[in-house]
Amino acid sequence: MTNSSASASRFAPKIDSDRVAVVGLAVAVVVPLFLFVVAPLFEIFKMSFVTADGIGLGNYVRYINSPKFTKVVGNSLAVAATTTTLTVLLAYAFAYAMRRTAMPLKNVFGSVALLPLFAPSLVQALGIVFLFGRNGVINRTFNLGIDIYGFWGIVISDVFYSFPHAYLILSAALAVADARLYESAQVLGATGARIFRDITLPSTKYGILSATFVVFTIVITDFGNPMVIGGDYNVLATEIYNQVSGQGNFSMGAVIGVMLLVPVALAVIAEKWIMRRHHATITERSQPLQIQRERWRDRVGLTFALVICAMIAAIVLVVVVASFVTLWPYNMHVSLRHYRFEVQNGLQPLWTSIGVSLMAAGIGVIVTIGGACVTRRLRNVAGQCVYFLSILPAAVPGMVLGLGYILVFNNPSNPLEFLYGTLLILALCNVYHYHAQGFLIATTSINQISRVFDEASTSLGGGFLRTLWQVILPIISPSIISVGVFFFVRSMVTLSAVIFLVTPQTQVAAVSVLLLDDAGNANQAAAFSVCIMLVVALALLLFQLVLRMSGGKNVSLIR
Amino acid sequence: MFLSLRHISKRFGAVPALNDVTLNIAEGEFVCFLGPSGCGKTTLLRVIAGLETPDTGEVTQNGTSLIGVPARLRNFGIVFQSYSLFPNMTVGRNIGYGLECRKWPKDAIGPRIDEVLTLVHLRDQAEKYPHQLSGGQQQRVALARALAPKPTVLLLDEPLSALDAKVREELRAEIKDLQTALRVTTIMVTHDQHEAMEMADRIVVMNAGVIEQVGGAADLYDQPVNRFVAEFIGRMNLVKLSTTKLVIAGAGAGGDPYIGIRPEHIEVIDGGTTEGGTLVGRIEKCIFLGSFTRITLNVDDKRLVLELRGRRTDLKPGAALAVRIPADAIHRLQDATK
Repeated sequence: MTNSSASASRFAPKIDSDRVAVVGLAVAVVVPLFLFVVAPLFEIFKMSFVTADGIGLGNYVRYINSPKFTKVVGNSLAVAATTTTLTVLLAYAFAYAMRRTAMPLKNVFGSVALLPLFAPSLVQALGIVFLFGRNGVINRTFNLGIDIYGFWGIVISDVFYSFPHAYLILSAALAVADARLYESAQVLGATGARIFRDITLPSTKYGILSATFVVFTIVITDFGNPMVIGGDYNVLATEIYNQVSGQGNFSMGAVIGVMLLVPVALAVIAEKWIMRRHHATITERSQPLQIQRERWRDRVGLTFALVICAMIAAIVLVVVVASFVTLWPYNMHVSLRHYRFEVQNGLQPLWTSIGVSLMAAGIGVIVTIGGACVTRRLRNVAGQCVYFLSILPAAVPGMVLGLGYILVFNNPSNPLEFLYGTLLILALCNVYHYHAQGFLIATTSINQISRVFDEASTSLGGGFLRTLWQVILPIISPSIISVGVFFFVRSMVTLSAVIFLVTPQTQVAAVSVLLLDDAGNANQAAAFSVCIMLVVALALLLFQLVLRMSGGKNVSLIR
Repeated sequence: MFLSLRHISKRFGAVPALNDVTLNIAEGEFVCFLGPSGCGKTTLLRVIAGLETPDTGEVTQNGTSLIGVPARLRNFGIVFQSYSLFPNMTVGRNIGYGLECRKWPKDAIGPRIDEVLTLVHLRDQAEKYPHQLSGGQQQRVALARALAPKPTVLLLDEPLSALDAKVREELRAEIKDLQTALRVTTIMVTHDQHEAMEMADRIVVMNAGVIEQVGGAADLYDQPVNRFVAEFIGRMNLVKLSTTKLVIAGAGAGGDPYIGIRPEHIEVIDGGTTEGGTLVGRIEKCIFLGSFTRITLNVDDKRLVLELRGRRTDLKPGAALAVRIPADAIHRLQDATK
């Protein structure tokens, strides 16, 4: 018994090293959240009160009294409401076809539906302009004189842009069903329509509400599509950009930022509140629903899915085609001239994007997994605070965060000012822009691990850090990789937060697409978009390969 | 005392889980915490392990207080109900984990892994992963892992309840033999009275956060201190004296509200002679259960359960039956302490 008495001498230590480790990790997670989320938000609020005659509500008064600005709020709400309604309806029907019919080709449809997630956020608008724009192929061929720029252009682009998010939520909601309910209803003589109204719809109402708020948030904060296809139709996100980049009016930009922040924060709070009440509709005793073949229903589902996927694919495809022709739509000869990138910094922004995205992936994994570990361990008020701070960025629109970063870091009195204009601040901005989603992927997977493992490790003498390092993290390693891929992909395609932070030296690819399009060089913008999509596709392929080799399954990339 | 629990209380929110529990455990003893679910037995085990902090009270080991000593420094081995083996590690690494944590020298770890694997008859399985083992094998490995760092106390939290009946019986005997051989102080939580009776030196019967009775299996069966213990360990015919029309010789003295009679202590009077103390009733049910037959008898609207040895084809539902309750078979019982 050489070691049996060894621990007796270690009884009753003054400060437990474990406590130190937990608190240390918590501080390491929380301090950056304050620096990179709370401080920029605080600065935005502060700036919105700064007027020529000192601190006050002057900016807000000016804003409310200006018909031009109130119109922008109306525009934003109109676009968001219309798009949300359309997207949720279409995505529900599509998800229903995927989950509740026996149509073929589900795998293909499922992949195509997610395409917009992996393209730069303005690709939808770009594709629609190639089709229906002034110089679009349709207007040129049929001389229809369709004017797509404005409200409907934004709505159509944003429907496609937000479609995959709604589809994922609704598909999850429709995937779970208790067969016993459906069988009882059939036995009792209910018709198909009645079953849908009385069982399917009520059991998916939380999914519908959740999708509604998520889509609303995505649409009202979207910057890229309105920028490309909005024309004179201004929305809040583009107005912030106009005020700040066009006129250098930071105070007014901040006011509009707050105006944008309020509806988004409300939508996010509503969504979280709904999801909290959502659980426990399906119990352990529920029987999974088996989908039977039903000829007409399956055919209708297949037709609908084909139409939706054809449109999603067409928009992406038209961008790809446009990048390979001499001059869309006048000269359709195949040409690689748009891939020479003879403007600006050539292909450099793409490499910059890849570098920033790799950094964001690395930092994102560390901070979100760290946060998830802290909240798993600290099951008290402190843990709840860390949780709240971690998901707070979900309520902060990218444009607002980006503006906040200028206010905080483009300030010589800030010791972190040296970050301004670097690639690192772009990476950090992307990490904290998408922090909530990455953190939720991490917490979901870490909370699936039974606490018995922690207790077993503790009783064997393992400390907090050893338990994490040797037990918990290895078990969730596939999810860790997926968090990294999530941050990589988001950083490759995002535009809204970084638009304020790029300098000529640190230009990223998604911003190049916007600037090229703005300069009337749509074909080169398309070529740049294609490069971004290629990089994203390669990253996803690599990820799948790694997962296959490590034997991981059922890892979700998107939330 | 080796391990001493004094006045332990613990609440979860408004729900009291333990209420002023005091217990002493001797070195080398095998103690079972037995009780229905929600009685606080698992909470008490977790308090001893250091996984829960009691609101009040003290745990001491050899006179030294353990309050404030985190679980990982207590050197107690724990076996959980199931699925506690680290899925990312082989059997060998699982067992070596506690040794690494306790900073055993590298060249001592390998031999110790072999040693404990031999103890649980799994010597050639060190390279396998947990998911490649059966449930019974996994619990054996969990036991080996808990024993490897030579813990001063072994804590078993319903270690057999997730296993099939046959495997459970095998492992019961195996754990008991191992404990006898190693003489490691062991505390096991269970809701299965047979498990407790077979394995434990002493059984701690718990109910609603308090200890009702502590004793050996025979003590608890023969001399239950109250109605709860009487009904929880084995079967007991319970008669509330204030409401029954039944007249039982010898009952009523002492003022206890209940009397209890074990089913096997009720004697059938053959030949129909009726003498003093005889009860006559009608047979309601007759169930053959292998080594004995269980009969439900209705005597003056009070149901008594009898267990008679062997198969009784002569007794049929509806027939009358005369029985006798020997005076020494009567237990006088109070309500539970709470």
